Amino acid sequence: MSGLLRLDGLTAGYGGATALDGVSLTLVPGEAVALLGANGAGKTTLMKAILGLVPAAGRVAFDGTDLAGVPTERRVRLGLGYVPEGRRVFPGMSVRDNLEVASFAAAARRRDRMERVFALFPQLRVKAADTAWRLSGGQQQMLAIGRALMGEPRLLLLDEPSLGLSPKLAAEVFAAVRAIADSGTAVLVAEQSTARALAVAHRVALLRLGTLLHDGPAEALPPDALRAAFLGVPGGVPGGDPLADARPGG
Amino acid sequence: MTILQLTLNGLALGAAYALVALGFVLVLNAAGAVNFAHGDLVMAGGMLAVALAPHITSFWPAPGLALLPLVLVLMAALGLAVSWLAYLPLRGRPHVSVFISTIAVGIILQNGANALFGGEPRAAPPLLWGGTVALGPLVVSVQSLAILAVAALLIGAQQWVFARTQIGRRLRATAQDPEMARACGIPVTAMILATFALGTAYAGAAGLLLANQFFVTPTAGGDLILKAYIAVTIGGWGSVPGAVVGALLIALFEVGVSAVLSYPVALGALYATLLVILVARPQGLFGEAARRRA
Repeated sequence: MSGLLRLDGLTAGYGGATALDGVSLTLVPGEAVALLGANGAGKTTLMKAILGLVPAAGRVAFDGTDLAGVPTERRVRLGLGYVPEGRRVFPGMSVRDNLEVASFAAAARRRDRMERVFALFPQLRVKAADTAWRLSGGQQQMLAIGRALMGEPRLLLLDEPSLGLSPKLAAEVFAAVRAIADSGTAVLVAEQSTARALAVAHRVALLRLGTLLHDGPAEALPPDALRAAFLGVPGGVPGGDPLADARPGG
Repeated sequence: MTILQLTLNGLALGAAYALVALGFVLVLNAAGAVNFAHGDLVMAGGMLAVALAPHITSFWPAPGLALLPLVLVLMAALGLAVSWLAYLPLRGRPHVSVFISTIAVGIILQNGANALFGGEPRAAPPLLWGGTVALGPLVVSVQSLAILAVAALLIGAQQWVFARTQIGRRLRATAQDPEMARACGIPVTAMILATFALGTAYAGAAGLLLANQFFVTPTAGGDLILKAYIAVTIGGWGSVPGAVVGALLIALFEVGVSAVLSYPVALGALYATLLVILVARPQGLFGEAARRRA
């Protein structure tokens, strides 16, 4: 299998602190990978390093192209889509403008693409003329995902898409993520809610303190790996296992 | 009747101020830093018009109007040069670096104009022709009407481009969240350069419009940057429509109070009103929109 995204020894940090330490990872076209790890594990930094939003050492290759020295905007045009933590929609722009601005296609194709986004998120069609800051958190998350889809990405990077959402809205958002993955777009999703991420992903990449602890099918996840990644301890915790429902089959 | 006459005069002055404030706020939003050279760029537009006028006047019946596209293009090029020299190398450093570099650009422009043209006031040609027209009982200068028309056209064009075109959407996205704009594939640096060009072109147009009735001197920029700053503060920091409305209010206030009392009193009262607004409504008249960078 040829890799759509290949990371080799990716290392990044802020000031003197290392946030990512030699991470190597490959995604193939159409694959959905859950990027798991506690706060500070390096999930957001990994996504930003892939996009070139933070300086990083090591190699990032997308569809065979080495991205060294390639600016972020060019990486996006090559087929990377990004849904950041906290949504970051353009607050003073309408829903329609938020979507249109992220497309580089001709007008007819742009309209077609927007129709597909509206089909995935019907609420956005109703709110198309509204200013983005007036939307609810869930609608803003839908808009952030829709905006990334307008660029027709081959790999969608989703950073904490359920953060701050009610369980019902989070389920709606993840249903859309599953539909996107099923349509053939590769997805790398970082998520605190392990159960939701595993329900979408074919594979799990587990980060702890910037290091890749596990990379493989969810079923092959070692029993203590999640506990080690999230709690930093290999053994049990008093009061039972808080991650039991997160593990495949849990 | 007097009130109508004063309102019309105030609107004409406010239309030119609005162009100054519009250019100022566009660059402020895109670059995330105050361009303290903006007033001097308005002055440069006026001086440019004065310098080019003799070459146009002899064969063109409306020299000011013929100068307008020329001033817009040349000032846009100057805006690109300013952003290239005084903004891009300092991007990513503390904002104070950009403040200082734009102050330096302003001083260079002032002294350059002084060296080239001298310190005495100069007048640019009228947009169409001098004189007045009667609108019913009102007597209005042709230049005032032309200023209103040109400013309305330029502001309308800016609004249309920003609202209806892809480049306008990209410029707005860049102003609202440059990192996210980049992550959407938008060439942010090019957008910032384009904004500097547009903002400076509008500053130049304002310079041309103002330099006929109010003359232009090398030090005129100091007063104009203050007016732009006040307009943006009144309208709501970062709000584009707020800046335009703020500029119109300043001019109406100046003309109104000057007519009843005097210009120095009008200026004093303007700054006193600014203090009241800062205390009572620090977010400005359009503060809610400004907070979200509308």
